Amino acid sequence: MTLQTSRWTLPIIILLAASLSSADAAQQAAISTDAVHVIGMATLKNNVKGKLTITNGALTFTSEKNSATVSIVCIEDVITARDSQRVVDGPVGTISRLAPYGGGTAISLMRKKIDILTIKYRDLNGGLHGAIFTMHPAEADALKQALLAEGAHTSVPAAVGVNSTVASQSEAKEQVR
Amino acid sequence: MNRKSMWGFLFAMSMSALALSVCAQSTSPAKPKPPAIEVKMIQAGEVALPGEFQVALYEDLIQEFEREGAYREVYRDGDRDTDKASDVISLYTTVTKFNHGSELERDVITVGGATSITVHCQFKAKDGAVLLERDIQGKVRLIGGNLKATDDFAKRAAKITPESFSSGAGSSSARGARGGM
Repeated sequence: MTLQTSRWTLPIIILLAASLSSADAAQQAAISTDAVHVIGMATLKNNVKGKLTITNGALTFTSEKNSATVSIVCIEDVITARDSQRVVDGPVGTISRLAPYGGGTAISLMRKKIDILTIKYRDLNGGLHGAIFTMHPAEADALKQALLAEGAHTSVPAAVGVNSTVASQSEAKEQVR
Repeated sequence: MNRKSMWGFLFAMSMSALALSVCAQSTSPAKPKPPAIEVKMIQAGEVALPGEFQVALYEDLIQEFEREGAYREVYRDGDRDTDKASDVISLYTTVTKFNHGSELERDVITVGGATSITVHCQFKAKDGAVLLERDIQGKVRLIGGNLKATDDFAKRAAKITPESFSSGAGSSSARGARGGM
């Protein structure tokens, strides 16, 4: 009896440990960040805020009203870039331009850096789609790495490519001025 | 002819005229179905075009064509349904000029910092004949982010409807028209 118990104890412990570690890995693989959907995802409006999540081999954007998912293996290209945008944007930002004594210009100078994540993917029918997201600085590169690890492809494998060079040049131009 | 019979005659005449006009309407040739359009991915050409601009141009074009509703269907690049569909016009686009402006510059000095994109558009029939060729520009001069230039381009491009082509969409003898917008 004692021998039988000891015979089954080891495999059970191994199985338990394996299941715990896989659950842990799945939790670690889930990456989530606040983002703005600029354009491209079907069923989502342009320029809507939400959460961009990578989990279970899929990239999901969830807004307050809706969500859209893309299978990561369908992603043909992932590109990141950097830019900056007004802190006060939208209709309020437009109206703020009319502020007297150069107040509008002063508000325009208040800018925040953003990262841009661009993806190209194919739907089940072979149709090519593109989607653009903006997010806080340094988050796009982490998302790109996570997407590549899960099977996505990229035309710009290195951190600094043609696109990011162009973007960083324009950003540098803005900072100089 | 008394008054009663005169009114009867007039009534009969008007009714027959009405019936004739209805017949004429029903026998008039039906309006031909508009062609479908397949939007090919924007080619950067020799211009260093950032990826987000390329994707924004493509997606804005598709959204604008769908919004305008001038085409029977809007197909994406690579969509397998395009092969099955008849009377499909393909839109090939190549960026010829790109000036990456600065939103800050536009905000502060107003007259500078414009972002502009010039795209060479070719509308081709299924047999490869060029139906229409145009250089279309998109720009943002004052208010908005740099990507707004792609929206401006798409709005102009979507104004090219099937009626803009000089002859039938499927015709191989169609002569390409070249112009700028």
